Amino acid sequence: MNCTSKKYLALMNKVLDHEATKQEEQVLDQHLALCEECRMHFNQLKYSTNLLNQLAHPQLPVGFTKSVLEQLPLEKRHAIREWGSRHPMLTAVAICAVPTLVMIGARHQNRSKNDYVLINASSDQS
Amino acid sequence: MDQKEKRLIRKVKKGDQQAFAELVDRYKNSVFAISLRMVGNTQEAEDLSQETFIRAFNHIDQYDHDRKFSTWLFRIATNISIDFLRRRKANVSLDAVVPGTEGLALSTIIPDGGELPDEMMMRKETEEMVQLEIRKLPEKYRSAVILKYIEDLSLKEISEVMDIPVGTVKTRIHRGREMLRKSITAGGGMRE
Ligand SMILES: [Zn+2]
Repeated sequence: MNCTSKKYLALMNKVLDHEATKQEEQVLDQHLALCEECRMHFNQLKYSTNLLNQLAHPQLPVGFTKSVLEQLPLEKRHAIREWGSRHPMLTAVAICAVPTLVMIGARHQNRSKNDYVLINASSDQS
Repeated sequence: MDQKEKRLIRKVKKGDQQAFAELVDRYKNSVFAISLRMVGNTQEAEDLSQETFIRAFNHIDQYDHDRKFSTWLFRIATNISIDFLRRRKANVSLDAVVPGTEGLALSTIIPDGGELPDEMMMRKETEEMVQLEIRKLPEKYRSAVILKYIEDLSLKEISEVMDIPVGTVKTRIHRGREMLRKSITAGGGMRE
C-alpha cells in the first residue's frame, strides 16, 4: 500500500472487527472519500470476508451420530469401571460371583438341550 | 451454557452414551464445518469430525465446567485437523495434493432456493475458489479465520479455543484477511 500512512489500514481492521468508535468510522469514511487506493483496499477486504461468510455449511450424513456411538468404548465396561472405583469390595464380590452364575447358566443350558432331545425322541416315536 | 447441556455433560461423565449422542447432534455440523474448511475434503472432514467426538468422549473428565463446552470441543476439532494436515504434509509431497474441494458434491453446497443452473455453477466456482485460497493460508491464520467467519465466534471466544491472547487472535485474523484479499482479488475480477 502506497498511501502515506498505515493508520488507515489499522482503522479498516478495527472497523471490520467491529471495534471502531463512531468517530473512528467517520475518520475512515472521510479518508476513503478522498483516497482511491484505500477505498479499493477496503472494498476488497469487505468483498473477501463476505465470500467467507457466504460459504455453505454442508450437512453430515444422517448416520453420523450413530457411527460415532458405535466407535465409543462399551458402555457397560465403562459403567462397571466407574462403579468399581467407588465400590472396590463389591466389585471383588461381583467378580467372584461371575463363575458361579456362568456354571448355573451352563447347567441350565444343558438341561434345556436334554429337553429338546427328549421332545425329539418322543416325536420320533409317534 | 444452558442447564440442559450441563446436565448432559454430567451424564456423559458417568459414561452415558445416549446423553453423548445429544451433544453430538447439537455440535456435529459446527465441528464438520471447521474440519471441512481446515482440510478441504468432505470425506476426510467427516472422519476427523468422528475422531473429534470420540476424543471428546474419552477425555470428558478433562472438560472443565467453567468453560463453554463448544469452546473445548472446537479446540479438539482444530487440533485434530492441524495434526492431520501435518501428517499429510509429512507423507505426501505438496505437488501431489489435489487443490480445491475435491470431495464437495454440488448438492451439499447449494442451498434450496430454486436457483438457475448458471447461478449454481457460478456459486460452486466461487466456493471452490474461496476454499482453495483458505487452504493456502498458514494453519494458524487459517484456523483463526475459520473460527471467525465460518463459526462466527467472537475474538474472545477464538482466544479461548486457540489458547492465545486476544491481541494475537487479531493479528492472525488481520494477516489472514489480508492474504485472502490479495489472492481472491488477484485476477482483478471482483464479482458483485
Ligand atoms: Zn489512503
